Amino acid sequence: MLTVSPSSATGAPLPSSAAPPAVGSVRNLNLALGFSTALVVGVLAWVMFVTPADTNLGIVQKIFYFHVGTAFGMLLCLVGASACAAIDLMSPSEPIDAAGRALTEVGLVCALAVLTSGPLWARKSWGTWWTWEPRLTLTLLVSLVALAVMILRDIAGDSAQGRKIANSLAVLAAPMAYLIHIAVQKWGGTHPQVLQGGGISSSDMRIAFWGSVAAVLAMCFSLAALRYRTLRSEGQIQLLRLELSARELRRNRKEAA
Amino acid sequence: MTALRLTWLLLHKDLRIAARSREVLGFMLLFALLCVVVFAFGFLREGRAAEEQVPGVLWVTLLFTGTVGLLRLFAAEEEAGTLDLVSRTHAGTAPLFWSKALLQLAFSGVVTCFLLPVVLVFFDARLHGTGWILLSLALGLIGQAVLGTLAAALLVQVRLREALLPLVLYPLLAPLLLGGVKVTALAMGQSPQQAIDGWLELMVAFDAVVVVLSPWLFGRAIV
Repeated sequence: MLTVSPSSATGAPLPSSAAPPAVGSVRNLNLALGFSTALVVGVLAWVMFVTPADTNLGIVQKIFYFHVGTAFGMLLCLVGASACAAIDLMSPSEPIDAAGRALTEVGLVCALAVLTSGPLWARKSWGTWWTWEPRLTLTLLVSLVALAVMILRDIAGDSAQGRKIANSLAVLAAPMAYLIHIAVQKWGGTHPQVLQGGGISSSDMRIAFWGSVAAVLAMCFSLAALRYRTLRSEGQIQLLRLELSARELRRNRKEAA
Repeated sequence: MTALRLTWLLLHKDLRIAARSREVLGFMLLFALLCVVVFAFGFLREGRAAEEQVPGVLWVTLLFTGTVGLLRLFAAEEEAGTLDLVSRTHAGTAPLFWSKALLQLAFSGVVTCFLLPVVLVFFDARLHGTGWILLSLALGLIGQAVLGTLAAALLVQVRLREALLPLVLYPLLAPLLLGGVKVTALAMGQSPQQAIDGWLELMVAFDAVVVVLSPWLFGRAIV
């Protein structure tokens, strides 16, 4: 991993291989994040003031536009993270690993949003903050597993061993999530089936729905890209630091000689 | 030497160590007893422990007890620094994994034989559908032992592993726990066969997944 070229012993400029990898400059990523955030705010304003309220559920139904978008985001991020972990476990690669970490973290943020907006909606439409309903239970359990992966990765540090450990758990999480899904489904429940049930009636609602999903996904993507970039930079800084100390060691040895 | 023989040798060694010190198993039994007592306090109604709590108490106690000795599974190898050596047999890491999983299964099997009568006596319950309950217990213990062995192996060198173990293990074991509780409750309530079958299938599927995936991940992550 660490490539110290012979010339660096004399204090030559650091090799260009140590430069941060290009995933678009931070400025572009910040712009993307700013743009997608503005998009989310815009869509929410649209949902608030333009989209008609649901005839049965009333105004609380509007949580749905944010809730479903973040749920999609969570699903995509965590599935992606698990896939990245599997690939990294088979043939270790720094970018894939960083992508997996970034997706896990963004997936967790989405899970938090889902688990906050869900009960707010449930209180109004089901009359209870929480019910042990399949999708709620699944979301809770899956986010706990993702949390475990993230904490494990943070604690096990950046050692190759720690990386393998966290990735193994992330790989295991995918089939387990499916089994959890089946288990909680059998356990029984009453989640609103808005999409399958054809619950979106007016075209206004449809525009708002797909708009909000797109906006939230765009924000998830730019967050993940930014986090990926930070993680890659961290890795590069680690390398540079190692290289610096190796250089210092060599200089000291030379002076002593 | 075949992989099977290697597994048996490693298991035999661990069983002899366990028979000499009896530490881990003793603590597991004691912990199981304490769990049931504490649960009985929690579920006491008019001076009596409620019978309908039996499935939950039984399975949650098994889940908790299963994690008590788990981190000691690889302790002997870890302390002697031989983990690397025993995992590098010509048969790969599988013998080490299966010997540890079988050891954990033996421990939790003994605990279950002790726990089941204790729960029934303390909660004043009668056992119906014993065959189904025993089958679900067997499936539950297998899944828990195999997944637990993997978790213990992953965490053996990690800081704060005692705190991390439940976080890693409990959410993943949720389907097994749900299935076990459901089968036990249905069997005790003398429910129709079909309801029980569905949950047993789920438990079999869970066991199949962990039995295939865990040794593979163990080999990937440990070496």
